[in-house]
Amino acid sequence: MKTQKQNPNITIAFPRMGNYDIPAKYLLTNIFDVNIEDIPIITNKTIELGTRYSPEFVCTPFKYTIGTLIESLENGANVLIQAGGGCRYGYYSELQEQILKDMGYKFQFINLMSKGQKSLKKIYQELKKVDSNFNPIKALYYLIITIKMVKYMDKVDDYIRENIGFEVVPNSFINLQKEMLNSFYRSKTNIDLYFKYKFYFKKIKKIKINKPSNHLKIGLIGELYTLMEPFSNYELERELASYGMSIKRYTNVYYLLFQKGRMANKYVKYAKEYITYKMGADAADNIGRTKYLCKHNYDGIIHIKSTFCTPEIGAMPIISKICQEHKMPLLFFSFDANTSEVGIKTRVEAFYDMIEGRRQ
Amino acid sequence: MNEYYLGVDIGSISTKGVIIDNNNQVITSLYIWTEGNPIVAVKKLIRELKAKMPKDGKLLGIGTTGSARKLIGLMLGANVVKNEITAHAVGTLSKHKDVHTILEIGGQDSKIIIIDNGVVVDYSMNTLCAAGTGSFLTSQAKRLGIPIEDFGELALKSKNPVKIAARCTVFAESDLIHKAQIGYLKEDIIAGLCKSIVLNYLNNVGKGKKIREPIVFQGGVSKNKGVLKYFKEVLDAPIIVDDDSHLMGAIGIAIMAKKNKNHQIFELDATDVLFETKGSECSKCSNNCEVLKIYKDHELVDTWGNRCPKGSE
Amino acid sequence: MDKIKIGIPRSIPYYYFDKKWTYYFEKLNIEVILSPKTNKKIINDGLNYTNDEMCLSLKIYMGHVNYLKDKCDYILIPRIENYGVADQTCTNFLSLYDLVKNTFKVKVLNYNIVLSKRETEEKGFIKIGKSLGIKTSVCKRAYVYAKAMSEKDKKKKHLMNLKKLLSSKLKILMVGHPYNIEDEYVGLPVLKTLEKLNIEWINAYDFDSSITNKLSSKLSKDIYWKYSKELIGAIKFVEDKIDGIIFVSSFPCGPDSLVNDLVIRKINFPYLNLVIDDLDSLAGVETRLESFVDIIENAKAKS
Repeated sequence: MKTQKQNPNITIAFPRMGNYDIPAKYLLTNIFDVNIEDIPIITNKTIELGTRYSPEFVCTPFKYTIGTLIESLENGANVLIQAGGGCRYGYYSELQEQILKDMGYKFQFINLMSKGQKSLKKIYQELKKVDSNFNPIKALYYLIITIKMVKYMDKVDDYIRENIGFEVVPNSFINLQKEMLNSFYRSKTNIDLYFKYKFYFKKIKKIKINKPSNHLKIGLIGELYTLMEPFSNYELERELASYGMSIKRYTNVYYLLFQKGRMANKYVKYAKEYITYKMGADAADNIGRTKYLCKHNYDGIIHIKSTFCTPEIGAMPIISKICQEHKMPLLFFSFDANTSEVGIKTRVEAFYDMIEGRRQ
Repeated sequence: MNEYYLGVDIGSISTKGVIIDNNNQVITSLYIWTEGNPIVAVKKLIRELKAKMPKDGKLLGIGTTGSARKLIGLMLGANVVKNEITAHAVGTLSKHKDVHTILEIGGQDSKIIIIDNGVVVDYSMNTLCAAGTGSFLTSQAKRLGIPIEDFGELALKSKNPVKIAARCTVFAESDLIHKAQIGYLKEDIIAGLCKSIVLNYLNNVGKGKKIREPIVFQGGVSKNKGVLKYFKEVLDAPIIVDDDSHLMGAIGIAIMAKKNKNHQIFELDATDVLFETKGSECSKCSNNCEVLKIYKDHELVDTWGNRCPKGSE
Repeated sequence: MDKIKIGIPRSIPYYYFDKKWTYYFEKLNIEVILSPKTNKKIINDGLNYTNDEMCLSLKIYMGHVNYLKDKCDYILIPRIENYGVADQTCTNFLSLYDLVKNTFKVKVLNYNIVLSKRETEEKGFIKIGKSLGIKTSVCKRAYVYAKAMSEKDKKKKHLMNLKKLLSSKLKILMVGHPYNIEDEYVGLPVLKTLEKLNIEWINAYDFDSSITNKLSSKLSKDIYWKYSKELIGAIKFVEDKIDGIIFVSSFPCGPDSLVNDLVIRKINFPYLNLVIDDLDSLAGVETRLESFVDIIENAKAKS
């Protein structure tokens, strides 16, 4: 038995990814009358734990997420929630539940997926188990606010990503963004949230930047978890911004939940000289984006993924081919738990030197 | 008085230093082992280069490159600190103006650089894994009890290189032990290792790159005749290995220090300075960053590794 | 006019359709060129046309395509997405077609199976026949014939397996995808070694898939990969009749990385987990097989 704190109250925890723990926690606290564990920040310890208890050649997000679940259990969580995606991510839940049980923890595990698919019925049944007073009408109300919150977050995030490399006062974007998210978390109604969003977006747009008209622009594509969890990509976006480049990233939670269904087919059509079908997870999306970035005067493309991500591995040769045909500089990163940080910095610096040299 | 520039390339295995003049000519150079301690290695390097530098000259620029470039840049007060890809390209172009492809295999890293009209247009590095690099060769040489210096010569003797699975260091090592156990000739194993390095390099680093002549091969491993032989054989093309092939990064960074406008007169006094680093785990938040603090004469000059400002306090 | 020649890579999808394809094209009077058993050259060519992180099986597949590229008019590469929402495939089955099209300059004969969107196998077969200029009714008849013949073959295999279960030798269930188990360089050396050790090996995928598919839920309630389901379902089907299990997978197989780990946590058998990465390090496998057989022999002697 591990050192799990005995906790008489129901306490929920879930894996984290970027800033999305804020809307997730918002939703859960408002629909349940239970504690929500503060999700521990991912640290070196998280990934050490995750690596120790994961199968050997599983993709890295498995290791990060199970690491967080273990840390949460140690902090007293007793209800765990895990979601999934369109690849083996959909199967994480069952194995993670088994591993944690074999380790000796006592908990209830809520898997939002059923056989790798989203299923509203299953989600409803599972949530009813956590709290028998669960009220679907109330949940729907807060779900709508949460979805809006994610949408606003992602919109602001897109703007920040394009401009943070040019901020005059260091950290001015990040600080204001933090303030905004805290204020979002305290929203009671849709209207309330909307005004907060308008207020802060205006403020963020007023942050002083020094952006030359001919600045370098790069597109960031790849596997979703690695793109969205900065710890897992060794804070690559921050590193890129420090060179004074504007960053375009398509993948975010709002895209995955509400736009992907429509866009994935469009991307396949758009890149029809290269592909005929969807290729699993976000592979076809990334191929379409590559062509788009090539055609729209970007200076370089960086593709990132976790080691062993099968769908992206399948897309990489095609992405390379498109970039070669368009003479577009391309950099691949495959991140694992113990990637050398110096190595990443060297590659980024050389990439910057190269695209800057090509400009001249 | 003559004007000179110092370039230092600190890799994981070896530390290289050159002093060049205004015509990019190498006045003096040195190649020593890093032995896991870049500070000690560079102090030794500077001491010896200082002794060899003509007395009539002054040093106007210092550049550092290689995996410890930042640390040593700080220590020497360098006016240019640049990554080794750019440095290698600049260095090679100074000697081979029309080069198209640079193959480079160093201690921890290997890279390919594609150049068009004197500009880097594409490059690629190994996927952050030591398989097929110099340190891998060195450790295997040790395992087989052969001095790394004799490795290349011995490989040339082989008529039937053994096939070694060198995609991954771990797999390669077990395969190597196995082949040695079941009685293959040592030279055939060594030749196999050299060939596998070439194949692995072309398959990993060189994948999808257009390798056009002239081709220059450099980095520490370029001194290995076995590896060179198999590069020629597999690529079926002439390959240039410069006498200074192991120094290209240092030459490149020295040239960049020369081109940099911030010239000043450097005294090579680093050998007398007390330069220390202290690694610790920052406990100011739950992130527990591994922080490295750099002290010059007991004074904190820089902090690395922290993800937030707290760690540098 | 010469007969049309269709190239079939002897790798991944081939092992799920093999005879069905042959029967079908035979009926349509079309010549089939099957790539040879995997050999060193095929592997090396495969390595050249793939990237490092791809699974060994995919590397081998590309080697087979390379062999066929100038020997036939078309290469047959199906895309198999699912046989229903709970019967999906690994994403490599989805990308195979486009990957080949981008890597080689070849004409590809393709069909797409997405049962969740009513893209059936029958439609697929008729589509390839039609694209070769053959009348739908003829294609349909050929497909019915091919299907019936291949059902017969499958039944035979199932019966053979049942017979093997009665053997007095030590019995080991082989849990691995057919394209790995039957590959000359991945699984066959394992089988040959087992034969030398006087072991009766039984292939999990040779059992009737309609039985094994259902049984899989007893080991994993959430699994949604068709081919993995059929493998682990077989474990449940034979659990009281075998002495041990050998898992064979190619490095770094996505579904196997999770499914095998889960199954190993749930079974009460001696097992050996063989992950084949680099073909030149197969030598160590022999030692591991010998000691595994020792273990199950001892276990049996005790009971």
